[in-house]
Amino acid sequence: MTDTTNTSDESTRDESGTARRDFLKGAGVAAAVGATGLGSAQDLTEMTALEVVDDPIGNYPYRDWEDLYREEWDWDGKARSTHSVNCTGSCSWQVYTRNGQVWREEQAGDYPRFDESLPDPNPRGCQKGACFSDYVNADQRVTHPLRRTGERGEGKWERISWDEALTEIAEEVIDAVEDEEYDAISGFTPIPAMSPVSFASGSRLVNLLGGVSHSFYDWYSDLPPGQPITWGTQTENAESADWYNADYIIAWGSNINVTRIPDAKYFLEAGYDGAKRVGIFTDYSQTAIHCDEWIGPEPGSDTALALGMARTIVDEGLYDEEHLKEQTDMPLLVREDTGKFLRASEVSGLSVDADRPEKVFVMQDADGTLRTAPGSLGERDGQHDHSVSIELDFDPELAVKRTVGTTDGDIETRSVWLNLRDELSEYTPERVNEITGVGRQTHQKIAREFAEVDRAKIIHGKGVNDWYHNDLGNRSIQLLVTLTGNLGRQGTGLDHYVGQEKIWTFNGWKNLSFPTGSVRGVPTTLWTYYHAGIMENTDPDTAAKIRESIDKGWMPLYPSERDDSGRPDPRVMFVWRGNYFNQAKGNIAVEEELWPKLDLVVDINFRMDSTALNSDIVLPTASHYEKHDLSETDMHTYVHPFTPAVEPLGESKTDWQIFRDLAAKIQELAADRGTEPVDDRKFDRQIDLQSVHDDYVRDWLDDEPGALSEDKAAAEFILENSEETNPEGTDEQITFDEIDEQPKRLLETGDHWSSDIEEGEAYTPWKDYVQDKNPWPTFTGRQQYYIDHDWFLELDEQLPTHKEAPVLQEKSEYPLGYNTPHSRWSIHSTWRDSSKMLRLQRGEPTVYLNPDDAEERGIEDGDTVRVYNDLDSVEVQAKIYPSGEPGTVRHFFSWERFQYPDRNNFNSLVPMYMKPTQLVQYPEDTGEHLHFFPNYWGPTGVNSDVRIEVEKVEEGAASLDAGLLGESATELESPDSGSKSRGALGRVSDLLGGDD
Amino acid sequence: MSKTTEDATRQTDDDARQTDDTVRQTDDGDVSLAEGVDHQVAMVMDLNKCIGCQTCTIACKTNWTESGGREYMYWNNVETKPGAGYPRDWEELGGGWDEEGQSRTPGELPEKEDYGRAWDFNHEAIMYEGSDEPLRPMENADWGPNWDEDEGAGEYPNSYYFYLPRICNHCTHPSCVEACPRSAIYKREEDGIVLVDQDRCRGYRYCVEGCPYKKVFYNAQTKTSEKCIFCYPRIEGEGPEGEVRPPSCAEDCPPQLRHVGFLDDEDGPIHKLVNEYEVALRLHPEYRTEPNVYYIPPYAPPQTSESGETVDANRIPRNYLEELFGPEVESALNTITREREKAERGEESELMEILSTVNNDDQYRLEVFDDDG
Repeated sequence: MTDTTNTSDESTRDESGTARRDFLKGAGVAAAVGATGLGSAQDLTEMTALEVVDDPIGNYPYRDWEDLYREEWDWDGKARSTHSVNCTGSCSWQVYTRNGQVWREEQAGDYPRFDESLPDPNPRGCQKGACFSDYVNADQRVTHPLRRTGERGEGKWERISWDEALTEIAEEVIDAVEDEEYDAISGFTPIPAMSPVSFASGSRLVNLLGGVSHSFYDWYSDLPPGQPITWGTQTENAESADWYNADYIIAWGSNINVTRIPDAKYFLEAGYDGAKRVGIFTDYSQTAIHCDEWIGPEPGSDTALALGMARTIVDEGLYDEEHLKEQTDMPLLVREDTGKFLRASEVSGLSVDADRPEKVFVMQDADGTLRTAPGSLGERDGQHDHSVSIELDFDPELAVKRTVGTTDGDIETRSVWLNLRDELSEYTPERVNEITGVGRQTHQKIAREFAEVDRAKIIHGKGVNDWYHNDLGNRSIQLLVTLTGNLGRQGTGLDHYVGQEKIWTFNGWKNLSFPTGSVRGVPTTLWTYYHAGIMENTDPDTAAKIRESIDKGWMPLYPSERDDSGRPDPRVMFVWRGNYFNQAKGNIAVEEELWPKLDLVVDINFRMDSTALNSDIVLPTASHYEKHDLSETDMHTYVHPFTPAVEPLGESKTDWQIFRDLAAKIQELAADRGTEPVDDRKFDRQIDLQSVHDDYVRDWLDDEPGALSEDKAAAEFILENSEETNPEGTDEQITFDEIDEQPKRLLETGDHWSSDIEEGEAYTPWKDYVQDKNPWPTFTGRQQYYIDHDWFLELDEQLPTHKEAPVLQEKSEYPLGYNTPHSRWSIHSTWRDSSKMLRLQRGEPTVYLNPDDAEERGIEDGDTVRVYNDLDSVEVQAKIYPSGEPGTVRHFFSWERFQYPDRNNFNSLVPMYMKPTQLVQYPEDTGEHLHFFPNYWGPTGVNSDVRIEVEKVEEGAASLDAGLLGESATELESPDSGSKSRGALGRVSDLLGGDD
Repeated sequence: MSKTTEDATRQTDDDARQTDDTVRQTDDGDVSLAEGVDHQVAMVMDLNKCIGCQTCTIACKTNWTESGGREYMYWNNVETKPGAGYPRDWEELGGGWDEEGQSRTPGELPEKEDYGRAWDFNHEAIMYEGSDEPLRPMENADWGPNWDEDEGAGEYPNSYYFYLPRICNHCTHPSCVEACPRSAIYKREEDGIVLVDQDRCRGYRYCVEGCPYKKVFYNAQTKTSEKCIFCYPRIEGEGPEGEVRPPSCAEDCPPQLRHVGFLDDEDGPIHKLVNEYEVALRLHPEYRTEPNVYYIPPYAPPQTSESGETVDANRIPRNYLEELFGPEVESALNTITREREKAERGEESELMEILSTVNNDDQYRLEVFDDDG
């Protein structure tokens, strides 16, 4: 054999090495072969025969071949971009191109440091971001407009032109508006911060059409309801760099090492800086392995654990008294007869300097004199009024029990503090141990340690937020940072990171997305479940509360009720940047009840996800490497861009271009049809389809026509109109071109946030209240642990308290707890279908079983099993997980429906259910503290209270199932007789059966 | 053949540590390189920062092993320990050297199935052709490079696991080199990187058998063996921008758990971690190939009793860690604990600083010998 044969081997290898995708063959391959050909020619002249090598250690003569790999380390273009997947990462990447195609990506690694005493912020990224390039040219990629030819979900399509697609959609939209059913047009797209221009693209059109903008943060149960309840705020948290400033960190149900990969460094390295890290997880999780202590409470018992810890802190006097007096409702007096706060207007002889004394609260000073609580809502002009201070010029008592002479006569009162102490007295070490399984000594020790350090922090995650009683859980865990005064300083706080909810550049984004300023926002949990039939299928108490909330206008629902008391069905739905159909809890009801009501479902996507597959028209959008946009997150204080590395593939267009073109088509056809402007039935405006495109591209703030035709101009609009990037009264401004050069740290914060961005310091929230003494945006102007809303009192939830989970399935029938945590291998459903990611898993959905549970059921690792309850049954592969507690099952969430033989998924085992306390307005009359606002306050879509059973699918049975389709397979599997939907809906009426 | 490092028993001359009652008798403080090699690249991986995210694995793959017969290969992999690893049960397949370090120990070739295959999937059929099958690998999928992820060992609540990232160790005493009858594997003079000459290699696979870490892979398409190249084009600054960059597995690692530099750079952190603090250990030193990749061994939260109390007992059995990293694990973990306690008391700890990225200048020291000529 001679080396001539090697030449052909090598070129073969390089040919396939360069051909990344079949359709890329061509120019790229030719170029690569050319390069290799040259190298081989040199090899031929130099190596004509095999020569002897004496000692290949350090002395090897034939090294020219090394150019082989050097030639592979080559590119001809780079562009800065990132990923829009709601991972909260917001990591800046460089995308490398070769021969006009995306080759690979690597973290840009150039975030500027702002505090040299903290770990380097670079590089941010993860394994998923590191292979997004695969999607650009993937088999899944949608490359031209498609119209369904089969049933929804069947995967049968015809290719249509853009004009055909836009015309069909525009006709349906115009029909709806002419029928005055504009509020039956829905736009679902989550999380602006991950790509605000793309978010705004469809939201802007929907807003102009008078359509409905859907909430998402509450729907996905990312919203921690305890934060609006107690702190009057959607969510505020420190950027992850601040973790390093803490002396003590509890990671509570937040699996940082899996779900916060770019930020994990700050947690890991805090351990090298002397911090103690405690993990509270129901499994020995991927974060627990790198903690200094791991606490494993029973699933759903976190509330009792937190209240037990609070009891230790209070009983042992480890609380921060000054903080409680000034910053919390603890000194406020509560009437013993009604459970309501004592109001200044009720107290005989108390002088009140306020417009609304009935909304002013009362405490007692050290002399025993009654005083009004400064900063009460009654003396403020609305929720956010910083002209009033909560600073005290007297010393209020915490522990007060007294009779007060009121307009109703003498009334017994007690302070919130005494009420709380009563509640906490229930959580003795013995009882806490009984409920949680956590040791009597251990939970007290953790509480003491937490209270005694200077700076303690809790990182709070989805693991404790997906329960029916998540509001109680939140409030109990929040209580720990409040009792210990760990708020408003570096290295402290409760950082809840679930969802990339923080759009720093709020004002620019808001104006771009909702130019009319009149937004038809809807709580998606309510909208989805209502139209999927929850009113007929939940328990009577919950149904009555839902009805009351809608009737009182506490929660909006669209289409709105008409004069004849009828309510039309939703009609048109646009979905983009999200996978609504796959991610819907109660998804059997969504599929069977809601989906058929929609006349037209349009999905805008770069890949064929489950929502796209179940749509009527799919429009091909640019991938993340093919457009201009911005990226922001809670996890850091930088802003950086998406810029196109390549042109959009095939016929795809950017989101902005798609909705702009749709607006143009609507305008054109409306003109043809002579469609007249329609009066909006709720807002003082007209919906004018004949100007909808002009309005779409017009800059409404500068009143400049045609200014916003392109993505980049839209991104610049956001930067220009936000305090964070263009602060008033300064010359400083962050421009798009600057951040294309290098990410920049935000300059200031608008009044939407609770702290300033300070040079050289990691962002930590709440300084406005804790340091500057502005009133908290709550009813009382304080961190409010006591809620005297009628419904809270009725349910005995005026204070945080532990309650058993509702019984959705009987434990005797369904012995295993069911949990659907976030996986390291996907961000929601993105990357679930990635070949590269699947090869590092098992190629298909798995369920994690404790070895004892598996053995009991004759299940071995790798077996196909059926996971089922009264709703449905899903078939997946069993994986043995010794670190899961016996009796618990983990089915990582977000597998696509098309990854299951029956085209159901992880959500098919989850019923529709919601908690009435999250449907309220508070105060009941004005709602200044709690009122519906999309993603700020509304019912959360929870799923952790579900129980299931698992059984092995016998071999042969599996192939039998695989051969059966649709209904017959369902009948075989469904443990309930009767139809799937009856099973799905029927049992939900037992919802509150087990509640105490 | 290269000279092996004898287990010298000279005490280090570090004053501070002379007074320490746990001072260990270890390798000569002097750095021993393979004869004929001027400098030796080395890597230290801190297992206490490895979160199993596999960004390194993907970075390596997108750089080097996406196609051309390399699809199944993971030059860099991350495996859950305890576990079968990649390729499956590689620790049981032999290779390396005998106790004297003179004769090679017989090794076995892993089966194809032990690596797992680069499965293809039926996306198009499902999404565009109306198939009612689920998305699945289009071939039998019963093992893969990360099949036993997160499994580990032990019983709840005292189960245990950790992640072990692995690349070629670019050994000082490489058994793959000796195994090759064509002398087609060599160590580079300037940096000790071990490479398989893709022109000379004829794919006999003796190197695959001979490597006890099973980090040489056979490419059935080119009929040559290939392996981790320590990203030499990157560290040489060979890209279009001429920038010297560390291997992509290191540079792309989100928690930055890898230090990259030269073992013989006595001012560098690798030397400090390996030779001074002796907290960076070789994986399976008993294979005697003298790896140049070192690991900071993992610690873990203590155990939990039946009544739910935290008890002062090691979660990861020390003897298991000793199986992996040799008898020096105990001392290395004690040193880390001691230094962490110093940091907790607010005292300076050089070791803790090296292991963190607060001062990141020394994470990668690749140009220190550039003036050597």
